[in-house]
Amino acid sequence: MILPRLMYKKAKSINDAIQLFQKNNGNTFYLAGGTDIVPQVKLRLHAIDMLIDLKAIKELTGISVRDGWLSIGANTTLFEIKNHSQVREYFPALFQSLDATSCETLQMRGTIGGNILQNTRCLFYNKSLEWRKAKGFCFKMGGETCNVVPNAKACFANYCSDNAPSLLSLSAEVSLLGINGGRRIKLEEIFSGNSKTPFTILQGEILTAIHIPLRKTKGAYEKLRVRDSIDYPLVSAAFTLENGKGLLSIGAIGARPFLYSLDNMNENTVQDVMERIYNDSKPVANTILPASYRKKMARILAKRVITNVLREAHS
Amino acid sequence: MKTVKVKFTVNNDKVTLQVKPYETLLETLRERLSLTGAKEACSLGACGACTVILNGIPVRSCLILTPEVDGMKITTIEGLKKGEKLHPLQKAFIEKGAVQCGFCTSGMIMTAKTLLDRNPKPKKEDIVRAISSNTCRCTGYKKIVEAIEAAATE
Repeated sequence: MILPRLMYKKAKSINDAIQLFQKNNGNTFYLAGGTDIVPQVKLRLHAIDMLIDLKAIKELTGISVRDGWLSIGANTTLFEIKNHSQVREYFPALFQSLDATSCETLQMRGTIGGNILQNTRCLFYNKSLEWRKAKGFCFKMGGETCNVVPNAKACFANYCSDNAPSLLSLSAEVSLLGINGGRRIKLEEIFSGNSKTPFTILQGEILTAIHIPLRKTKGAYEKLRVRDSIDYPLVSAAFTLENGKGLLSIGAIGARPFLYSLDNMNENTVQDVMERIYNDSKPVANTILPASYRKKMARILAKRVITNVLREAHS
Repeated sequence: MKTVKVKFTVNNDKVTLQVKPYETLLETLRERLSLTGAKEACSLGACGACTVILNGIPVRSCLILTPEVDGMKITTIEGLKKGEKLHPLQKAFIEKGAVQCGFCTSGMIMTAKTLLDRNPKPKKEDIVRAISSNTCRCTGYKKIVEAIEAAATE
């Protein structure tokens, strides 16, 4: 499968990248590892004419500790983060989600920034142009219909990052830099809740770093997948426990991960969250597993991560 | 569209090429340099048939634009043998019958090589984990794992 005609530019600095983006008036993607974006461009899911490579920008790579936060440059590979001693020791939920992402070879190339900013996916969207033309364009492709749910008013594509749910459970924040300067926001604020355009990030803005409060936590991540490798999650659950309080995130159903806080960990609060997850999870038939099964599994995975973490905390 | 000048090292040979900016590394290797060991299968980074080693790391050459590798060092399956002597992995794959149709073999060997480079004595689960990046549609994984285990003991 060949790539469409497009220009390639290697940015020397963040400002250089932003300027290049502005000069090309949109129709441009930033390129990091390319493990998510290149297949999409090959499938003609985006009409772009330029890729701006961010890999030569040194300040976007690396892991450092500053003012009680662990800061991870957006271009740091998933494999490097997974093998960082503090990530293993302090953030087990993140370690497990990194380990569950795709396969080792793609973890060595794929970056955390790209993993967070991956596009939403659908069985009827991630297809070749010819396939999609034959079926007819849906909301996500600029059409007026959904090819999964008849008469739907919006898109149901799923956000399938393994690592965003675990980062949400760790209260992570992100730094962004754009033409109007920089900002630091909570990770949950980057999600729009709209599967067609899943992020609130402004055009041309660059995700520069992810920050996690550097405190020892207990945590776990579980993922429903058909194969033990390569697969995106079909449902995922990440849970982090710190000082008796828990944060639980459910991913891969709909436009954004759900986040639930458990201020005390007794049987009633856990039961209450299970009910809320069941009511909130509204999967549709847009993955290789039935929607009804995924809905049940959201609650089961949530129970599993909480049970595992509590068992470890009490041992 | 203007072509881009790219310089890189492939199997210890220095190469300078003018390429299309949207040309993939796999296309360059196969069509310009006649290094056809890396195969195109899924073309979307899922199967691993196009795996080559880029600066010591296994990569999907179908997902990399050739201009990205400017100044870098690439090893393909053709670069593994020393003179007429096969690499221990190549030898073990032949001896253990780990090659069936052969389409996944170069990707499997390149992935295995990077595993042995960073972990010379891998456990069976390390091997399974590493080659879970690569798909064999003949489903001959057992012999592939045995071949990598054999190469690791050499």
